[in-house]
Amino acid sequence: MDLMVTLGPHLLNGLALGLLFALVALGFMLIIGVMEVINLAHGSLFALGAYVAVALVTPEGGLRLAALGPYFATPIPMRFVVALLVAPIVVAGVGMGLEVCLRRTYGRDPLYGLLLTFGAALVIEELIRLVWGPTERFLPVPPSISGGISLGGLIYSVYRFFASAFAVGMIVLLWLFLQRTRYGALIKAGAHDSEMVRALGINLKRLRLLVFAFGTALAAVAGIVMAPIWGVRPHVGVDAVVPAFVVIVLGGVGSFWGAVIAGLLVGMVVGLTGAFATAWSLVSMYILLIVVVTVRGRGLLGKKSVLEK
Amino acid sequence: MKSGISRRTLLVNGALVGGATFFGPWRHHHVYAQKRDKPILIGLTHDASGQFANSGQDEQRGTIMAIEEANARGGVLGRKLTYITADTETTPATGSRVAERMITRNEVAFLVGAIQSGVANAIGQVAQKYGCVYFNTNSSSPTESGKDCKRVKFVWDGSGANFALAAADNAVRTFGKRWMLLTNDYVWGHNTSKATREIATKFGAQITDEILVPVGTRDFSPILLKVQQAKPDVVAAAVGGDDFKVMRQEVVKLGLDQKPAWLNNQQDWPDIYGLGIESVFGVFGTTWYHKLPLPGVPELVKRYQARWPDTRIDVPGNVFYNGYMAMGELVRAIERAGSTNNIKVIKALEGHKMSAKDRMQHHDAWIDPETHHVQQTVYLAARNEKPADKTDYFRIMSWSEPDKVRDADSVKTCKLAPYDSTPTYEQ
Amino acid sequence: MKPMLVTFALFGTMPLWIEPVGLYRYLGVEIMIWCLFALGFNLLLGYTGLPSFGHGAYFGVGAYAMGLTQFKLVANLWLGLLAATLAAAIVGGLVALFISHRRGIYFALMTIAFGQMFFFIASKWTSVTGGEDGLLNIQRLPADFGVVRVSLVSNLAMSYFTFVTFVVVTALLWRLVHSPFGKVLRAIKQNETRMAYLGYRVFVYKWASFTLSCAVAGLAGGLFAMAQGGAYVQVMSLQWSGVVVLMTLIGGGLVSFWGPVVGTIVYFLARDLLGAYTESWLLWFGLMFMLVVMFKPEGVAGAWQEIIARVGARRRARAGALQPAAGE
Repeated sequence: MDLMVTLGPHLLNGLALGLLFALVALGFMLIIGVMEVINLAHGSLFALGAYVAVALVTPEGGLRLAALGPYFATPIPMRFVVALLVAPIVVAGVGMGLEVCLRRTYGRDPLYGLLLTFGAALVIEELIRLVWGPTERFLPVPPSISGGISLGGLIYSVYRFFASAFAVGMIVLLWLFLQRTRYGALIKAGAHDSEMVRALGINLKRLRLLVFAFGTALAAVAGIVMAPIWGVRPHVGVDAVVPAFVVIVLGGVGSFWGAVIAGLLVGMVVGLTGAFATAWSLVSMYILLIVVVTVRGRGLLGKKSVLEK
Repeated sequence: MKSGISRRTLLVNGALVGGATFFGPWRHHHVYAQKRDKPILIGLTHDASGQFANSGQDEQRGTIMAIEEANARGGVLGRKLTYITADTETTPATGSRVAERMITRNEVAFLVGAIQSGVANAIGQVAQKYGCVYFNTNSSSPTESGKDCKRVKFVWDGSGANFALAAADNAVRTFGKRWMLLTNDYVWGHNTSKATREIATKFGAQITDEILVPVGTRDFSPILLKVQQAKPDVVAAAVGGDDFKVMRQEVVKLGLDQKPAWLNNQQDWPDIYGLGIESVFGVFGTTWYHKLPLPGVPELVKRYQARWPDTRIDVPGNVFYNGYMAMGELVRAIERAGSTNNIKVIKALEGHKMSAKDRMQHHDAWIDPETHHVQQTVYLAARNEKPADKTDYFRIMSWSEPDKVRDADSVKTCKLAPYDSTPTYEQ
Repeated sequence: MKPMLVTFALFGTMPLWIEPVGLYRYLGVEIMIWCLFALGFNLLLGYTGLPSFGHGAYFGVGAYAMGLTQFKLVANLWLGLLAATLAAAIVGGLVALFISHRRGIYFALMTIAFGQMFFFIASKWTSVTGGEDGLLNIQRLPADFGVVRVSLVSNLAMSYFTFVTFVVVTALLWRLVHSPFGKVLRAIKQNETRMAYLGYRVFVYKWASFTLSCAVAGLAGGLFAMAQGGAYVQVMSLQWSGVVVLMTLIGGGLVSFWGPVVGTIVYFLARDLLGAYTESWLLWFGLMFMLVVMFKPEGVAGAWQEIIARVGARRRARAGALQPAAGE
C-alpha cells in the first residue's frame, strides 16, 4: 500500500506526460501514413510552433512594433488562444514548403527522403537560432490555468491537467476527423493504398500537401502546449521527435490507437522511472523501444507499412 | 529582439579591433618595429550559447569594460589590449578546441573566461599544456581550486564550498536538521553538493536524500513531487544556469517556496534579473551586489549603464563583477611583473593582496598561492521584501570574512604543477 | 585511385603549408581524424546503403576506451588505440546483431535509439566517463617503436602520426571495398532481396559492414581523445552523429570512395572560416546539404566524376571524328 502511495503521483504524472507524447506522435504518424518517408523535421516544426507562439504572446518574442501595442495589451488568455490558432497555420506553411522540397525524392530510395528531412530539421533549428537567438524563451501561461492545486497532500501543477485535457480533446477530435469526414477517409485511404487512390481520380499531389500541412500543424499545436513544460529552446525539437519515433514504432505504424496506447505506455514508463532513478528516466524510453522492436517487429498494433520496404 | 550584444557584433568588433582572426599570411609576416607595438591579445572564452549563455554574455561585458578602461589609461606596459572572442557553447569539447585555436593560431597572450566548470577544466588543461595563463572568472566548482587546479589557472569566483560554509551553520539552526540535496549532474553540481553535505553534517544536519537533476531538465514535476513526499526541513540545491531558472519558476508557481526552506548556494545575477522580485526565494550566496553601501559601487553601476545601455540586465551583478575584477587584476599583474611572460605574471599573482576598497567588498581579498583561488568576502542574501527600486532584488543578510569560509579541503587536494614543468609562454 | 593519392600528398605535406594559409595544425589533425571516421562510415552508408544516424556513439566509445585504458590498465599508446578499436567494434557488433536484419527507415530508427541510449549512459555514468564534463587529462603517449621513441605532444608530431594511421587504414579500406566482400556489399545496397535469393547470407554481410565501420570509428575516436586531451560526451549526440552523415553525403560518399574526405574538409573549413564571420554558417551548410540531396545526391565527388566523364566523352568523340567510323 505504501508503494502505491509513493508511486501514485508519479503514475499520474506519467499519464499526463503520455497523453502529450501521444499528441506529438499523432501528427508525426499522419505524415508517415500517407508519405513514404519519416519526417525527421517534425521536431523542429514542433519547436517552431512554440517559438511563433512566443512571438504572438509576448512582445519580446520578436514583434516589437508600436502598431501592435494594443494587441499586446489584451489579456494573456486571448493572446494564448490567438497563438494556438495562428502559429499552427504558420508552421503548416513551412510544412508545405518542406513537402514541395520532398517531391524530388519520391520514387527514389526512401533513404533520400530521410536525409532530406534530416537536413531540413537542421536548417529549421538554425533558422530558429538565428531569428530568436540561442537563449531560452518563456511562454507565459494564462493565470487561470497555472499554479498548483493540492491533491491528497501533494501539490500538482494545474497546467498539466489542462494540457492533458487538451491532449485528450485533440485526440478525440482527430479521431472524429479521420473516421467521419471525407478528408479523413481520403487520408486513411492514401495511407493504405496510394495507387488505388490515384486510380480513383483523386489528386494525390494535393492530398499529400494537405496531409503535410495538417500533420505539421499538429506538431505546432503540441509544441505550444508543451512549451510551458519543456521550455522553448532551439534544441527542444530533438527532445520531441525522438519520443515521437519511439511511440510510433512501439504502437505500430499506421495504427491510430496504437500510437495513443504507446504514448501512454511511454509516458508511464518515463514517469515511473522518474520515481526511482530520475536521471535514467529518458533512457528507459530507448530501452523500451529496442525491446519491443526486437520482440515484436511491427510494434504493438502495427500493420505492414511502407517503412518496411 | 536579441538582448545584449550579439555574437556577430562582438566577433566583428573583436576582429576589427584585434585584426587577428583571419588575416592569415599577414599575421605571420607582420614584423613589428618594436615589441611594444604588438598589442596584448586577450582570448575571451565566454559561453554565448547553451545553458549559461546569459551569464557568459554578462561576464563578457565585464571583461570587455575592464579592457577598455585599461586602454583608456594608456594600455599596459605601453601596449594596447585587444581581444578576440569565441563561443565555447557550454561544451567542454568546444572549449578545448577554442583554446587550442586561440593559442596556436591566434597566439593570444592570456585566456579569460569560464562559467561552466567542465568547460573551465577543458580549457585549463590545454592552457597548462602550452603555459598560457588562464583566468577562470565565474566557475565555482570546489574542484577548480582543488584537484583540478593548475599552475596557469586562477579562480576568481567564490566556490560552492565557500557558500556552503557561509550558509550551513545558520541554516541548520534556523530551519532544521533534515536536509535534502538537489544536484545538477555535472562537476560543479556534484562537488558543490559534496561540500554542502560535509559542511552541513558537521553542523548537525542529516542528509535524507540526494536527487540528481540532469543538465537540461525542464520538467521538474517528478523531482518536486519527491521533495514534497520527503518533507525535509531544508532543500540545498546545487542547480545552475537555465535549469535553475526553470526550477525556480516551477517552485514559485506551485507555492513550494516557503516550506521547505531552500538553500540555493550561489545565485548568479543574470539568472534571476528580469523574472521579478517575487521569483527570488530561499537563502543564497553572492560575491557582490550593486547596492552594497561601499565606496565605488554606485560609480561602477553608472559606468556599466553608460557602457551597456542596450542590455536587458539594467544593473551589474556578481557575474559581471567577477569578470570585471579579474580582468582588472590581470592588467595590474602584468604591470607588476613588468612583462607578459607567464611565469613572471603567475608569480606576481600568487599571494597578491587586494584591498577591500579596490574590490568594493567589505573585506580585503587575496590570491591563495597554494590553490590560486581568490579568497574574498562571501555575502548571504534573501528576497528583499522592501525594495528601493525595481532592481533591488536582494536583501543582504550577512557577510563573512574570507578566512572564516576558507575551503580547507581544496588546499589538501590541489597539486600545482611545478614551475619548471610549466612551459614558458610569452606573447 | 588518383584522388586518394592527391589526398595523401595534401595531408602528408599539411604541416608545411597549413600555417602560412592562416589555419593551424590542430585543425589539420582534427580534419584527418574525421576523414578517417567518415571513410569508415561510408563503408556502411555509401557501399552497403545502410543509414546510421547514431555512429557518433562508437566514436565516443573509442575515445573513452582510449582514456580508460590509459588510466586503469596500462599507459601504452598501441594498447590504447587497440582498445579503442576493439571496444567500439564489440559494442557495434552487439548492436549490429539487433539491427542487421533490418534496412531503410527501421534500421535508421534503431541506430538512433541505440546511439541515444549510449549517449545517455555515457552522460550519466559519471564515475567511469566523467559525465557531462568528460574524461580529462588523457595524455598523448609516446609512440614506442622499440628502437626509437617519438613524442606526440607537439601538434606537428601528432599530425604525422595521424597521417600515417590515416594512410594505413585508408589503404586497408580501399582493398576491402575492391575485394569480393566489397562487391557483395554493393550488390546488397542495390537489391537485398535478390542477394538473399542468390544464397548470400545477407545478415552476416550487413553485420560485418556495421561492425567494421564501428571499429574504424573507434580508432578515430581514440586518436581524437589523444588530440584534444580528453574524451567528451557531446560527440555521441544525435547532432554529431548527423554531422558525419552530412559530411559523407555532401562529399559524394554514395558514389565514390574519396567523397567523404571532400565533405569532411568542406565542413571543417566552413566551420572555422565561415564561422569566424557569421553565426549562421551551419544554416548555410544545412541548406547546401538539402540542395545536394534534392538535386545532386551524388555529391561533390559525383559531380566531379560526371565532369571527368563528359570531358572524356568529348575527347573520345573528337578523336573518333578524325577517324572514319567503323563500318562506314
